[in-house]
Amino acid sequence: MTVLELSTVSKRYGQELAVDNISFQVEEGRIVSLLGPSGCGKTTTLRLVAGFEVPDGGDILIRGESVRRKRPYERNLGLVFQDYALFPHMSVEANIAFGLRERGVPPSEFPARIRSVLDLVKLPDYGKRNPHQLSGGQQQRVALARALVTRPSLLLLDEPLSNLDAKLRDSLRVELRQILTSAGITTIIVTHDQSEAMSLADHIIVMNRGRIMQRGSAEEIYGAPANKFVADFIGQTNWFRGRLNGGRFVTEDGLSITIAGKAPGGAVELGIRPERIAVQTKGTTVAVGVNALDGVIDKTEYLGSTIHHWVRLANGRRIHAVVQNNGQCFARDGESIRIEIRPEDCLLLAPDEQDPPEPRDGRQPICTHVLQEGEGGRRKVS
Amino acid sequence: MKRLADNVLGLMVGCLSIATIAFLVAPLLIATVMSFDSREFLGAFPPPSLSLQWYVGFFSDASYLKGLQVSLILALAATALSCLVGVAAAFTLDRYSFPGKETLSAFFLSPLVVPHVIIGFSLLLFFSTIGVFDGWVRLIGGHLIITVPYVIRTTLASLVGIRKSLTEAALILGATERRAFWKVTVPLAKTGIATGAVFAFAYSMDDVSVSLFLTGPDFYTLPVAMTAAMRSAFDLRIAAAAVCLIVLTIALIWFLDRVVGLDKVIGQGVYHK
Repeated sequence: MTVLELSTVSKRYGQELAVDNISFQVEEGRIVSLLGPSGCGKTTTLRLVAGFEVPDGGDILIRGESVRRKRPYERNLGLVFQDYALFPHMSVEANIAFGLRERGVPPSEFPARIRSVLDLVKLPDYGKRNPHQLSGGQQQRVALARALVTRPSLLLLDEPLSNLDAKLRDSLRVELRQILTSAGITTIIVTHDQSEAMSLADHIIVMNRGRIMQRGSAEEIYGAPANKFVADFIGQTNWFRGRLNGGRFVTEDGLSITIAGKAPGGAVELGIRPERIAVQTKGTTVAVGVNALDGVIDKTEYLGSTIHHWVRLANGRRIHAVVQNNGQCFARDGESIRIEIRPEDCLLLAPDEQDPPEPRDGRQPICTHVLQEGEGGRRKVS
Repeated sequence: MKRLADNVLGLMVGCLSIATIAFLVAPLLIATVMSFDSREFLGAFPPPSLSLQWYVGFFSDASYLKGLQVSLILALAATALSCLVGVAAAFTLDRYSFPGKETLSAFFLSPLVVPHVIIGFSLLLFFSTIGVFDGWVRLIGGHLIITVPYVIRTTLASLVGIRKSLTEAALILGATERRAFWKVTVPLAKTGIATGAVFAFAYSMDDVSVSLFLTGPDFYTLPVAMTAAMRSAFDLRIAAAAVCLIVLTIALIWFLDRVVGLDKVIGQGVYHK
């Protein structure tokens, strides 16, 4: 069942088009992430869904019903704010009970529902505390509990982990995913952090300048970016301009690289992810079909788990390569080496347009195939 | 050398602070002590012996008592109305953006900078023109104008500290705009509102310049009665009246401390974390 559907939604602030004709659907039980840089329209989209903003064009449907004219309190949504927005003058329990009371749940049910949701977020004994007595991570979980206790048809998370420090973020990310999965709730996560989107969501919608750039699983978006923006926003890429010549790509600076698969017509940019580039000592044999280029290590950054190399090729071009630190010795600055690129690791893209085309069929259901895989795995919380 | 300059400056600031406090408190202390003077005439400080004669005189003077009664009722009415109008205005200014918002805000706060004499005189002309001669209506109208800016200012200061996401959280949890206002906004802004109410009450009790224009020979406030008495028969009953007003103010602050917490009224309540 489709829980949320946006159909050709636009929102303008003054001259600026914050959300430009976007359409997508979210199926029951899915976790979808809106990913993009700040100002890409993801937060505006969230606010449109929540009802804090009214779209200038298009329609928003929740469970098949248009909510265009509905106030936030008529939409049965849950929202975890970036700053958590816990009521400072109420205890944790009172914060959680707020939504129950406002939605007319009989007070006799409050204790059981509050207990069960506090158990879910693993804060069973924190009911009597005040929000300011909690750490950032605990506040976030209380905010999550407050949003979940009313059993909304859709949960919205606004930059859920951005207010936490890096170490805590990693552990809470895992926990958040666990809570969402066991609650079995349809969720939209707005984030600018690619790893947050990739680890939490089963479907990612990449946005830029108010438009949807690409949608798909983390694997699809990282492995086959639809355009240069997506490739650059998610991960790093070495870019080469040039032209196709049979099964090879000839760069402007004279490199000839064997490519694999079908290239889009008029492809003029070749992208190679740094971690797909192998750095080998000279003299070892090259596997058949693999591109091999000679170069010298210009600069090396030792980052612990990975080692970043900047390799100067014979023609002067600098290449960024990342290798895993597997404990064996690695190339040092000034060392002559050879880089190897497999043809299937070459990303070929058409020239980056000012406004990359978004499929206009708008209503295409997103990632129904992933839904089928994951559907059985979810349980509803009490 | 640098350090010496710092120390000297620090010492000077300390001395200045002490001088300021002395300057603020000394007149009050002198008035308080003098109000217990047992002499029949206005003598030199300190009084040779103490008595309650001026208090007895104050509380047995019909004109003072009448003024006190009018002042108290007027201050309560003006405070209640000010809170109603001021909170509504502050909420509107904080919550919505509309053309002319800055102008409106400046207009609401303008009685703070316009001399009260001018307000009083203008009101006198205004009320006469529109034919309002009832003393209560005139005084409440006048006091509303001078007290409302304080309520707006203190309420606005505490509203600005309330994150917008808190109201939005209430809405998304199912509360209507009205419920969100009463359940989230008002409890968080109550210290600001209470502070504004205390200011409003104090300024209303204290006002002479506006009231002077709006009162008559048989309808006046306590400060107006005191001013009149000072001109005709100057005696220490005025000091006794002043002490009564000080006690009333302290009682009010004590009450506020018990209800909302004084530390909150002064600090945290205005600027939330």
